[in-house]
Amino acid sequence: MNISQEEAQASLSSVREVTSRTQRAIASAYANPLLILWGMLWIIAYTATHFYLAYAFHIFTTMAVVGGVGTAVIVWSLHSKAPIQEASSPKLGRRITMFWILLCVYIPIWLFLLAPFTGLQCNAFICTATMFAYIVMGLWFDNRFMIILGLALTAATLAGFYILRDIYCLWMAFVGGGALLGTGLYIRLRWR
Amino acid sequence: MAQLDNIIHQPVRLQIMSSLVSLDQNEHVNFTYLRKLLKLTDGNLGAHLSKLEQASYIKIEKTFVARKPQTFISATGKGRDAFAGHVAALKEIVEGSQTQIETNS
Repeated sequence: MNISQEEAQASLSSVREVTSRTQRAIASAYANPLLILWGMLWIIAYTATHFYLAYAFHIFTTMAVVGGVGTAVIVWSLHSKAPIQEASSPKLGRRITMFWILLCVYIPIWLFLLAPFTGLQCNAFICTATMFAYIVMGLWFDNRFMIILGLALTAATLAGFYILRDIYCLWMAFVGGGALLGTGLYIRLRWR
Repeated sequence: MAQLDNIIHQPVRLQIMSSLVSLDQNEHVNFTYLRKLLKLTDGNLGAHLSKLEQASYIKIEKTFVARKPQTFISATGKGRDAFAGHVAALKEIVEGSQTQIETNS
């Protein structure tokens, strides 16, 4: 039995579509609650910093602790009821988690190497590095939304850094935090 | 030259295999989750899984998770090889060559 080129092409498209859908489903199980958590924390921390600049260190330390504990709780609770299982957690989900953990380790290393810098430079560096990771995720999952989001937020960070210095924290609260929260909600609604 | 596989060629079974080979070799997926992911009914998914299991392309395991019975499905090595060969054959056809479907049922 022969099949036409059109039928073969349609089958290959189906394979690509299902493969991508499966990988996104695995990723979304872990990614969306984490993005929502960090988006909300980002908005709160930057907004608070804008109004209480003297407490910036305390605000961001609190955010890091709450975020870290929240992340651990989410990962632990999701692992126990994951629909895709092996002896340990799904490898794709684990690779994604490892990627973000490594980024969290490398950013302080880069900052140490680049010092001295101003608070604004430090913040803009962390934001653009995180957006770079978004773009990598987008390329990994062949997801245009994450690539565009990464590029747009990089541009927004640079605009805040060079043009809107007076309201930089407020700008980043709603642009950066809003993007994280928006991505989490988008994944929750569209990738499921 | 790669060979088409007429068990995998059926559209629903192609989707099932595409999803299962996306997982790592030692991972398996919950039946309910796979059904939702592929937007199939219980009966439809079950029938196609039986066909794939008969060909030894997938492994179906029934187990208990938190005292609830659950069915997990994974692709076997033979299934992964057959799927890879089928996709290679499809690519050859798209690129212009003709391939015969292997009759293996």
